[in-house]
Amino acid sequence: MALAQASADAILVADDIFVQFNTPEGPITAVDNVSFKVRPSEFFSVIGPSGCGKSTLFNVIGGLLGQHQGVVSVGGETISGPHKSIGMVFQEESTFPWRTVVDNVAFPLELVGMPKGKRAERARHFIRMVGLDGFENRYPGELSGGMRQRVSLARTLASEPKILLMDEPFAALDEQTRLLLGDKVLQIQQQLKQTTLLITHNITEAVQMSDRILVMTYRPGKVKRIVDIDLPRPRTSEIVSSEAFGRYVAQIWNDLREEANRGMRDEEKHMLNQDERTA
Amino acid sequence: MAETGRLRQAAVAAPLLSPVTLLRVAIILGVLAVWEFLADSGWLYRDVVPSLLSIGRALAALLSDRNYYFNLGVTAAEIGAALAIGGTTGLAVGLLLGGNRFLSKAFEPYLYYLGPTPKIIFFPVMIMWFGVGPESKVALGTLSCFFPVALNVAAGMRQIDRVLIRVGESFRATTAQMVSKIYLPAMRHPIINGVRLGFGFALIGTLLAETKLSNKGIGFLIIQAYSVFDMPRMYAMLIVLFVLAIGANALIGRLGGLDRIKRT
Repeated sequence: MALAQASADAILVADDIFVQFNTPEGPITAVDNVSFKVRPSEFFSVIGPSGCGKSTLFNVIGGLLGQHQGVVSVGGETISGPHKSIGMVFQEESTFPWRTVVDNVAFPLELVGMPKGKRAERARHFIRMVGLDGFENRYPGELSGGMRQRVSLARTLASEPKILLMDEPFAALDEQTRLLLGDKVLQIQQQLKQTTLLITHNITEAVQMSDRILVMTYRPGKVKRIVDIDLPRPRTSEIVSSEAFGRYVAQIWNDLREEANRGMRDEEKHMLNQDERTA
Repeated sequence: MAETGRLRQAAVAAPLLSPVTLLRVAIILGVLAVWEFLADSGWLYRDVVPSLLSIGRALAALLSDRNYYFNLGVTAAEIGAALAIGGTTGLAVGLLLGGNRFLSKAFEPYLYYLGPTPKIIFFPVMIMWFGVGPESKVALGTLSCFFPVALNVAAGMRQIDRVLIRVGESFRATTAQMVSKIYLPAMRHPIINGVRLGFGFALIGTLLAETKLSNKGIGFLIIQAYSVFDMPRMYAMLIVLFVLAIGANALIGRLGGLDRIKRT
């Protein structure tokens, strides 16, 4: 009852998500009892050390992972499988190499049967938005990694999702490209008032963009804390030099350091065990 | 302006005069020179190495012979039918095995064992089943073509970038859309490669069958020329066959190279 009332002002609700994987060494709990709500037009980030189950959570919300407990609902509607209100941007290179930029971006429109001329026009609109005008007829192989990731972003935006769900979209890029692309995402998010859920392990990136940040613990991935980021908007990457920004980064790093340390020790132990077994 | 003009000229001229091209031409000229020398020397029995001139004359006669075109058509139709039947069944079986781990584990070993077996050993069976005419040649060509296509497609399907499939799923593509817009285009290179190999094997299987036992087709004509010891005519037919095979192969390769991928 309390949940139903609270979800009235939330567009996305994750309630008590629990995921367990079976491995040769027994079951591993990847995500444990994770609950949160995302409000309309909010920029919400999930941050955690590697191995905390962030990407698992991404797949659960995206509807790509069947085997989980708990409920994800969008606008009050419980999801079962990929939902039309959620648009996903993947960490990996995910453009179609056999399609030009405009055909890549028009892909979701093609799936729903939009006529060719109209979808090309829509696609061009989103290509302009990510700043790739002039490259409409290039193939992804002719673009840089950062440009290809912008194509992926434009493709997902073209499906006009209520919620933009991104899994470390800048992870494979160099630092400068990452900062500039972060600016682009911020600008688009503010322009469209796009509800965004970003999964990341990068603290500055999370603080720079988010209204709220959920910090996850190392395995099993639980909610450690949800931090409100009270920085003025509109923001750009220039905010990284402000004092308040530094305080937030320090605070979140404080939370994360413990978890990251635990993760590192756990990995070392795991490797030593493996060595003993093979010796 | 003049500068760019000169650069462009250099770029065009370079491939023509590159050392590789020169060496290639030199090899051909060298082989022809040795050939002509052997033909003139009289060291070899009669017409085993006929002179280039007589081969040229035979080639001209061949190309103006209507009967030859009829037989060429027969062989081309046989190969085409073999490629069509063997290619589509190979594609279907490859998709099935590539997409289903259980079926792949159960059946793929058979394909691997049967694949390298020379299919010509099945020719007597094919003759019994389908007769001496083109049908038995198509059957053997189909059998030769099926295996490389099926194996290539199955392997190609397993190599598809998983994230592309997840993209399709996240946009809620239907099964038909997944196949036509993601699986098939993502597999275009292994498919084209399989068809190319399949074409080669269909060509070999069909021609081999024709030379063994037949009453029409290029293989039949070649063996006929050999049995009456008309060597210039035989070599002329080999040359035509060679050129046609290269042309067809280039055509298939061209279909697969429509978009260039620099990404590795």
